[in-house]
Amino acid sequence: MGFQSQVEKAKNLLRTRLCNPNFIIKPLSDSPDSNYCKLKFTISSSITEACNNSILLVGPRGSGKIAVLELALNDLLQEYPDTISLIRLNGLLHSDENCAFKEIAKQLCLEHHLLFSKMGKQRLLYSLLDAMNTVTSQAVVIGVSCRLDVDQLLEKRIRSRFSHRKLLFLPPSKEDVQRLLEHVFSLPTDSSFPHDYAAQFNGKLQNLLADDRFKEIISSYLDLNSTINHLVRFLFIVVSLWESKSGFLSLENFKSALSSIQRQPKQECIKDCSILELYILVCMKRLEVKEQNSYNFNSVMKEYRSVHDSFQTSDYYAWDVCLRSFERLIQRELICFTDNRAHGQSVEFRPVKLLVSYVELQGGLKSYRSCPIILQKLMDH
Amino acid sequence: MPSIAACNSSPHKVMVPVKSEKPSEISPSNAQSTTPQKRKLRSNGPLVQETLVSSLVKRKSPRRCLNSSPISPAIEIEKDSSKQQEKTCEIPPKKLHDNFTGKPSWNPRDIGQISALKEALHVSTAPSVVVCREDEQKRIFDFCKACIEQEKAGSLYVCGCPGTGKSLSMEKVKQHLVDWAKEMGLKCPDMLSMNCTSLANISEIFSKIMGKNLPRKRINGSASPLQHIQNLYSQQQQSSGSNMTLIVADELDYLITKDRGVLHDLFMLTTFPFSRCILIGIANAIDLADRFLPRLQSMNCKPMVVNFRAYSKDQILRILKERLMALPWTVFHPQALELCARKVAAASGDMRKALCVCRSAIEILEGELRESASNLSSSAVENELPHPQTAPACEFFKKQESMIVGIDHMAVALSKAYRSPIVDTIQSLPQHQQMILCAAVKFFRGGKKDTVIGELNKSYIDVCKSTMIPPVGVLEFLSMCQVLNDQGILKLGQCRDDKLRRLNLKIDAADITFALQGVRFFRNCLQ
Repeated sequence: MGFQSQVEKAKNLLRTRLCNPNFIIKPLSDSPDSNYCKLKFTISSSITEACNNSILLVGPRGSGKIAVLELALNDLLQEYPDTISLIRLNGLLHSDENCAFKEIAKQLCLEHHLLFSKMGKQRLLYSLLDAMNTVTSQAVVIGVSCRLDVDQLLEKRIRSRFSHRKLLFLPPSKEDVQRLLEHVFSLPTDSSFPHDYAAQFNGKLQNLLADDRFKEIISSYLDLNSTINHLVRFLFIVVSLWESKSGFLSLENFKSALSSIQRQPKQECIKDCSILELYILVCMKRLEVKEQNSYNFNSVMKEYRSVHDSFQTSDYYAWDVCLRSFERLIQRELICFTDNRAHGQSVEFRPVKLLVSYVELQGGLKSYRSCPIILQKLMDH
Repeated sequence: MPSIAACNSSPHKVMVPVKSEKPSEISPSNAQSTTPQKRKLRSNGPLVQETLVSSLVKRKSPRRCLNSSPISPAIEIEKDSSKQQEKTCEIPPKKLHDNFTGKPSWNPRDIGQISALKEALHVSTAPSVVVCREDEQKRIFDFCKACIEQEKAGSLYVCGCPGTGKSLSMEKVKQHLVDWAKEMGLKCPDMLSMNCTSLANISEIFSKIMGKNLPRKRINGSASPLQHIQNLYSQQQQSSGSNMTLIVADELDYLITKDRGVLHDLFMLTTFPFSRCILIGIANAIDLADRFLPRLQSMNCKPMVVNFRAYSKDQILRILKERLMALPWTVFHPQALELCARKVAAASGDMRKALCVCRSAIEILEGELRESASNLSSSAVENELPHPQTAPACEFFKKQESMIVGIDHMAVALSKAYRSPIVDTIQSLPQHQQMILCAAVKFFRGGKKDTVIGELNKSYIDVCKSTMIPPVGVLEFLSMCQVLNDQGILKLGQCRDDKLRRLNLKIDAADITFALQGVRFFRNCLQ
């Protein structure tokens, strides 16, 4: 097998793994007190003892609730093939109660999203949970929601009939993340892959995982949103940026994936500005820092003049040219008018404000191709 | 351990007789005089024969030390039995001997026992005797009795918090009425009980009543069922001595509409001169009758109100013990039951919750045993040559395992049921989202109630500056606020301009402070 085709095959394998939620959830569900085990135990004990139960799965979006549920249900369907029938309802789709009842009749299954609780009187939930209080029914109701206070949204009658079992899905810890990365990226060393390549790949992977810079990239990414879904998206971009000619994953792939995900559109807009426009932006920032609550083009020009006087810059342009740049900035929405009346006053007299934050402006200046040093100095004072 | 071996002898046979047995039957104790303490166990007929044999074997287990526990058994029995005799009125007196030395301890590894136990504690299992509601049942029963005897119509309103035994008591009263009517030779009333949530259309209630009253009469197309019934009740009955109708409407507040028409008409049915219905409505609100049926007061036929108060700690304890009495083993430590009763009574007095907490405590015990079994088996695999010191230690460890649900299990179950997941979630949020929450706490400390995203962003940037962490851009800030909104921590309003969306905290600032106090970084932030 040629080297390129090996690399292609590895890429395909990694991509397939990242798109399969069951694969991702597996290493996190192995420990005995994981949510997967608890859920499976509760459902299977309800089945074996033929008693009714209700559970609530709560956790932020993308933390793997449905994935764990599917995993548990698949295992249980294999263990008890003929004794379970499954119903799925979705609060977004079946928001009308009649529709939901019809859907139940169609599927004869037992799972629902708690968006139902937004409707008045919550009849469906009440009838479901009330039916479970009779001796003849045998059902397990599993609710999935991303709101923490979902049981406060339920009516008190329904809350009383609900069995208060909650499984909280928390984001994975740092060790779990490391384990997950290893699990996803290690190539199998069996016969499906050429042994040398796989061994080399895994060796480089181990070095990469132990690298501190790598850990920093991952933790800075997870500082924003630490759900598994978010992480998987990042890993997918990493694999897509992995060029075939390099052959192995490297730190650069992760860095470029990070910068492509954490884009700052306004900063990039600033990079496209002309020097005069940058001057105008910096002058506006200085005015704001001086706590001038409302200023217009004339005040900006005054500031621009004073800057020119104190620093003797070479970039001093005429009034008309500046006005033209000013209007271009407004069109690009880097600044905007603060009053809502469009008519009456001309552009020079209407109050304006900045739409980019100081940090973004600073970042934009730093990454500008040939930014005059004076601007950076002006930003700091 | 001898107890495990003995119990495995007949697991499934234990289950079946328990359900069908009536607890008021006290068959003469036969073999019980052989028990060392000469205590009368509540016998369940054939059940006892099998388990007593095994229990005699268990007497030899080294649990005799429990006899000298500070909860001295002898005194407790007398107290219990005297209390029971005071409270029961129509139910024949029973002796409750429920301390846990009198019964053998259960085997949590036996599936049959577990199912029997969970069945006994399940919310859907109606106990054969409903305790702690004798007064209320008596009032309802007397009211219905009077109505039937005098052949007069009447209405009654039963109210109370969820989980206080209203529907359950009504079922018992209905049964009781049927028995009484048979005994007295009176005509048994027709029973119509329905749950108002199951009505497709709220005026359907009248067609149901029609159906009961006049099953063979065809409904004339022009008049509605309500008018039919009203006509019926305004005229003298041709066939005298037709049955009274007992209508029980559960979850009555589903009938409340803006104009309160249906509810009113329903209660007015009892005011007609020749009306034959006894109406009993069940709902949660105490003042439903006052608020929604003011006109009835002027006609002097306001419904009688029976209030089912939330259960007190003693009542919950008694009900739990009653349910567990049917089983021949001890499952719970008495103090664990008391802890559960106290907590639930202090919170809501809802019996369903108490039962759920008990079941969850059992599952915690099961989980513990499974884990220790897997630990022991894995450690047994490791030490192939049992060390002379560790082997008896393992045995000792096995014996020390509690087979009874103790206070620690109950405490864990209670904290799971009552603790909100907020503190855990805040502690596991990513760092920047925690910083947003810190910024929100600081911002709202000044007394403001809500703000816009733009202002919070400024506050967040200040927090970041003070802690030397680079703040994130506005887009990511917005998406993090959206995530917090989805989870129910923040509340975001709608606005075309993203920065002007209104925002306020939905959880208590004290919760955030408590959750983040462990991290010095945030403690300094929040100063």
